[in-house]
Amino acid sequence: MAAQLGGKVTCTLGEVKNRADFIIYWGGNPADCHPLHFSRYTLTPKGKHVPEGRKGRTMVLVDVRETPSAKHADILLQVKPGKDFEVVTTLRALVKNQPVDAARVAETGLTLEQLQDLVDRMKNARFGVLFFGMGLSMTRGKHMNSAAVLALVAELNAYTKFVSMPMRGHGNVTGADVVMRWTTGFPFGVNLSRGYPRFNPGEFSTIDVLVRGDNDATLVLGADPGATMPQPAIDHLSRTPTIVLDPKVTHTSRLARIHITTATTGISAPGTVYRMDEIPLPLKPILESPYPTDEEVIHRILEKVKEKPAWTPASFKEVPCA
Amino acid sequence: MLRITGGKVYDPANDVNGEVRDVCISDGRIVDEVAGADVRTIDAAGMVVFPGGVDVHTHVAGGAINFARAMTPENHRDAAKFIHSPELRAGVGGATPSTFATGYLYAGLGYTTVNEAAVPVLSARHTHEELRDTPLVDKSCCVLMANNELLLDLLEEGETERARHLLAWHLWAAKGYGVKAVNPGGVTAWKWGKNAKILSEPVPGYSKVTPAKIISSLAAMVDELKLPHPLHLHCNNLGAPGNIDTTIETMKVLDGHRAHMAHLQFHSYGGDDWDTLRSESVRLAEFFNEQPNLTADAGAILFGDSVTITADGPWQHLLYQLTGRKWGNLDVENETGCGVVPYTYKGTNMVNAVQWAVGLELLLLIDDPWRIYLTTDHPNGACFWRYPEIIHLLMNADFRRECIDKLPEKALKRIYLPGIDREYTLSEIAIIISAGPARALGMPQKGHLGVGADADVALYNDDPDRERMFGHPRYLLKGGEVVVEEGDIRKMVDGREYIVRPSFDKNIEEYLRPLFEQYYTMSFDNYPVEMERLEGADIRECG
Repeated sequence: MAAQLGGKVTCTLGEVKNRADFIIYWGGNPADCHPLHFSRYTLTPKGKHVPEGRKGRTMVLVDVRETPSAKHADILLQVKPGKDFEVVTTLRALVKNQPVDAARVAETGLTLEQLQDLVDRMKNARFGVLFFGMGLSMTRGKHMNSAAVLALVAELNAYTKFVSMPMRGHGNVTGADVVMRWTTGFPFGVNLSRGYPRFNPGEFSTIDVLVRGDNDATLVLGADPGATMPQPAIDHLSRTPTIVLDPKVTHTSRLARIHITTATTGISAPGTVYRMDEIPLPLKPILESPYPTDEEVIHRILEKVKEKPAWTPASFKEVPCA
Repeated sequence: MLRITGGKVYDPANDVNGEVRDVCISDGRIVDEVAGADVRTIDAAGMVVFPGGVDVHTHVAGGAINFARAMTPENHRDAAKFIHSPELRAGVGGATPSTFATGYLYAGLGYTTVNEAAVPVLSARHTHEELRDTPLVDKSCCVLMANNELLLDLLEEGETERARHLLAWHLWAAKGYGVKAVNPGGVTAWKWGKNAKILSEPVPGYSKVTPAKIISSLAAMVDELKLPHPLHLHCNNLGAPGNIDTTIETMKVLDGHRAHMAHLQFHSYGGDDWDTLRSESVRLAEFFNEQPNLTADAGAILFGDSVTITADGPWQHLLYQLTGRKWGNLDVENETGCGVVPYTYKGTNMVNAVQWAVGLELLLLIDDPWRIYLTTDHPNGACFWRYPEIIHLLMNADFRRECIDKLPEKALKRIYLPGIDREYTLSEIAIIISAGPARALGMPQKGHLGVGADADVALYNDDPDRERMFGHPRYLLKGGEVVVEEGDIRKMVDGREYIVRPSFDKNIEEYLRPLFEQYYTMSFDNYPVEMERLEGADIRECG
């Protein structure tokens, strides 16, 4: 969503591997959440233009606490919770050599010297990259934090090469985003109830629809909202017919009217997963499953739906108001 | 079986120029004659009959346009909406239409074939997934190779032979149709925040590889591999004042090899900076007219909102700095890059006014319509669904003059358009939107209505308002199926994908495998796009 505000300057992970000599992780804990990130893409690999591997790279971790990722970092910058936006904004000012009030910087838990040092390092990097996690994008300020980081990185390109990338996870969330974009024109929060796609995050995003109780039924595919969503949303899922397609029993499947067990994608069902840098990787199944794939189930549901009369604006019967 | 009768037929590839004659169709192809009780007849009296349109250069599918969709939802909010029906899928139009809408919009112009002009091999799988979801048109795509570092490394070492095998292997791995070069060397340089502006200077990071070397080597390899479509070339210094010298130098470097010069409008500027920018279309057209090895598309611009999308990363950074608008950049490991910047062309802006004129000037001054084609480099210069506006401008000099009168005074001294009286004929329009691009793409079954051709036929009302006429075909046939009838899309058919299989030495894989392990983040075996991901693939063997 932040990219809609100011754009996004990014690259594929191989660029980081081959070129990055300066790496920042902000509000994320890859050591636990993306355990292969360091070894496969960012820190230890010997890249085409970073032949010395880890020795040729500097890693800065910005977070509110010392996570297990800290021991991989060369520099740890511990920010006070909820102060990320202030830090990013200060960095943007320093990049452009604007005066900054040291006393106000201190409120963030960091000193002006630390931030000036970071800016100098960013500008002197040959190829810098900033990965940001949910500690930035889902805390106070939310997408405005991400937008600020994206703007900082874009502006750094007046001095050197710098890119950024959100640390996305949760299975194939990037794939869902990518497919929604090419089929409907929008990444998420799409409402098709008028027969054409409308986009309004905050109104049509899943949580908002559920909390308001707008929908009559829910089809859950490859997600476990029952474990992560706010209670009013979960209440609505249990109140109305919920259908879950999942290989496993989940919080959501327990409260659903129907749980269809499906084959696990990537193990016994083929498909495509989009990596966080939007590179599509083919999934090749290694085992057979007695269960149908998600795709088969959806197609069968669709066949049945097609037998019903089509909903078109012309066939829509006006419901008299009470 | 079907007979189109009573229409004025424009089929320039077969020297048919507005004759009233029948066009007969059977099994998806044009045939001599059809007979029997089950022959449907379409009365085309008052209509003109064209071969289905062919877009030689457009950006409709893949990582770059999908990146643009993510960045600019505001464009979709105001855009045309497509309501789903039993036949049609929902979607949105605008500068970056959703895939289904793209198919509907092209069909709504009478187009039946599109060439997606910029595909990184690394994300070709994504492009094919989108093309599969683009109905009603046949598709092909060009694979980005001019900044592929594995290839440039081989050129640096003088291993031309192996480089050719590598090129052919990549083209097949991507399931592509042609080879695209974008800002040769410049995108690689951009990986370090630099550019490649001078054709004879080594590309940053190399000592022997220059843009000139990349261009000449690629063009030669494409010819040696006997690919149906020549090297598809986006020159260095796109959009920059004074880039005419680079463009002419590039044409010289090609040294007789075939090439298709993409969006030439963006490459024909004189002057030293934005204040002195002027049209150099006369110089370019005169030089181009003497180069029979070359074809080109216009890349014309129209005033209004657009989104610029290109693999030319450094240019997009400059555009971001100029406009202060959103900037998207996506560098693709070892291969290419991509930039996205929303842009508004303003009729009151001197630079934009010159650009507008240059696009039309090139279309009017290049004397052989078989070698210059109508494009807007969608969505860069304007959206493809605005082509009818350009056709109107080309066919009507009076209307053109009215538009010129609205340009800023400052621009008038810098353009040639006011002195050009040429008006396109319908036959010439048929060449630049269909017959010519089909020939440039090397698709003998497209762009004409001769016996054996694919039955892709557009029927337009013969309306003196050419913009209205070409903006809305009465009928469109795709592979013999009537998909547009009385101006409505009535039937959904999937298009085919044209791909080539050039010959290469299988041993190239043994050379590539260890390099992949080292430089890529995708495993070598996962890199090539699997055949089963393509729907209705039509494979052409070559080399």
